[in-house]
Amino acid sequence: MVEKIYCEVCTPSIHLQITMSTNGQIGARESFEARTDYSRICSLLRTALLATRNKDGGWGYAPARRSRIEPTCWVALALGHSAGQPPDVQSLRSWQRQDDWLLDVPGTPPNAAFNALAALTFLQAPSAAALAQPVVNRLIQASGRRFGQNDAVRQDNSIQAWSWVDGTASWVEPTAWCLLALKKIRSRLRSREADERIQAGEQFLFDRVCYDGGWNYGNKEVYGRKLWPYVPTTALALLAMRDHRDHSVVARSLEQLQKDVASERSVVALALTIICLRAYGVETYALEQTVIGLWTLGDRDNLLSTAMMLYALADANRQVAFTV
Amino acid sequence: MSAPVEHRLSRRDFITTLSVPLLAVGCGQPFDPQRFHVPSSSTVGVFPAGSYEADFADLIFRGLGELGIRLAGRRVFLKPNMVEYELGTAINTHPQVVAGAAIACQRAGASEVVVGEGPGHRRDIEYLLSSTGLADQLREQRIKFVDLNHDDVAIVPLQSWFTGLRELALPVTLLESDFVISMPKLKTHHWAGMTCSMKNLFGTVPGAVYGWPKNPLHIHGIPNSILDLTATIRPHLAIVDGVTAMEGDGPIMGRPRKLGFVAMGSDLVAVDATCARVIGLDPEKIEYLKQAARFLGVIDAERIEHRGELPARYATRFDVVPALESLRLPR
Repeated sequence: MVEKIYCEVCTPSIHLQITMSTNGQIGARESFEARTDYSRICSLLRTALLATRNKDGGWGYAPARRSRIEPTCWVALALGHSAGQPPDVQSLRSWQRQDDWLLDVPGTPPNAAFNALAALTFLQAPSAAALAQPVVNRLIQASGRRFGQNDAVRQDNSIQAWSWVDGTASWVEPTAWCLLALKKIRSRLRSREADERIQAGEQFLFDRVCYDGGWNYGNKEVYGRKLWPYVPTTALALLAMRDHRDHSVVARSLEQLQKDVASERSVVALALTIICLRAYGVETYALEQTVIGLWTLGDRDNLLSTAMMLYALADANRQVAFTV
Repeated sequence: MSAPVEHRLSRRDFITTLSVPLLAVGCGQPFDPQRFHVPSSSTVGVFPAGSYEADFADLIFRGLGELGIRLAGRRVFLKPNMVEYELGTAINTHPQVVAGAAIACQRAGASEVVVGEGPGHRRDIEYLLSSTGLADQLREQRIKFVDLNHDDVAIVPLQSWFTGLRELALPVTLLESDFVISMPKLKTHHWAGMTCSMKNLFGTVPGAVYGWPKNPLHIHGIPNSILDLTATIRPHLAIVDGVTAMEGDGPIMGRPRKLGFVAMGSDLVAVDATCARVIGLDPEKIEYLKQAARFLGVIDAERIEHRGELPARYATRFDVVPALESLRLPR
């Protein structure tokens, strides 16, 4: 396969060569640096993120947008992780309400997935770890709405895992986030309710896994037609199920993820996959090159993808926030 | 639309806004008839486009002229339908149609044109933009794209209450524009019957607030949600990609079906009713269109005037899932 230099990106602190191979695969390499030393690109990403911090200490999904829970958690984790420090969770504290949910947009329902992410972020900051417990207690009480069986979708609708917001159906992403949070804090909680909720979440993911492995958003089929897995959902679900790595469903999904990610063109999907595969001890060098290339060519105002990429590229030995 | 409604209202107005829905609901009416006006007739343009090689900028610019749409100095917001990408399918509004509409609006004097979508299925907008080719089209035309799932939001009082909800968070980019164009792909929809310019508005509801696939809207009823969103956002124009539509198990798993037209009109109900008839469905039997005819627009064929081609030229019968057989027009 012939690899051509597509363009070069030069800043005072970085010199990247973006490459494109004959099959359209995008890659990147630093032209004067050991290939796996990402210190320059990480420094660039850190600078970009620090420059976009809002006055309230949080981050929006894009520069000059209102601070929100999800990007703030990812940026705090990425900045802390890449500097070898705990995340700065000061702005997250301001969203915690009297009922213990974190809420970033008054007048809207609390989001279980983003609250779970906030709990995971608190747990990475020793001084704020106690703040995670009330959030997780809310997550234990939360569950997706129960539905009757439906001919259109052959699945067990009685399993109540987690929905994005109260009163709606259980979906793979919020379930994976909540499982991660509960599993991370399980040893401290020692609660039967927590164990039962973890069991329900795992049962849900086992029930909804696609026929060839991996996860769609919630269903594995509709009207008898098989649905296909997605890269970000599969990476996330696999992170939540890492403690079942020997289970055939998990092993098959890990294989499926590695197949599907080869054609993936999104920074978010690739960053999540790198984080996931590293947790499973799988080599991610090629994906790292690809994600740098995509980020360089893509929408650099997307602070969520920038933070996820920084977290993914920074020192793998310290990537513990999502490892169970 | 101009500023978010909550920002426009004085305190007195706001109290009135709250009390009117209560009175209306108390009377069993899910909307306030005094706030809506159904015209005696509406106009729908049906313009031929045999393939995606057509000059959509020219076609849509001429369509704007024929429909008397004035865009000079207005901030235009284009809302295409982007759900999922699978090679060889017809799930999304084609990027050529979106880019053509953006150029046509610029040519018509719009002060700003922004494209925005909040996919209800795929959260990963970067994947959708690059795989569909829309990212390249927008970059080439220097058109800004906003991911509505992750935009800032404002809480807006709903202008009808079919869902029973009082308010929704909606993206500020949509609310701050002053000319909203719904740009759907014409498709069958296995729950709602058909998805066109009204159902397309599901994509304005922010996923980062309500989750994916905007599940609260399903829980409160898809037809109800379509009505409340249309009544509240009140798009100014619909431009429908009917060049290649989708039949069968839409909106994602169906088959492409070539039709060969772009439909346009400022009465979204009339545009959707016309498209329903073209694909062999009876708008009177599609719940949200039937209800919309009470307060939002026209569905009677006799009260819809046409520009361009007569829709009958394209009339056909789309395959539908068995549950939707009852929605068909009689042969």
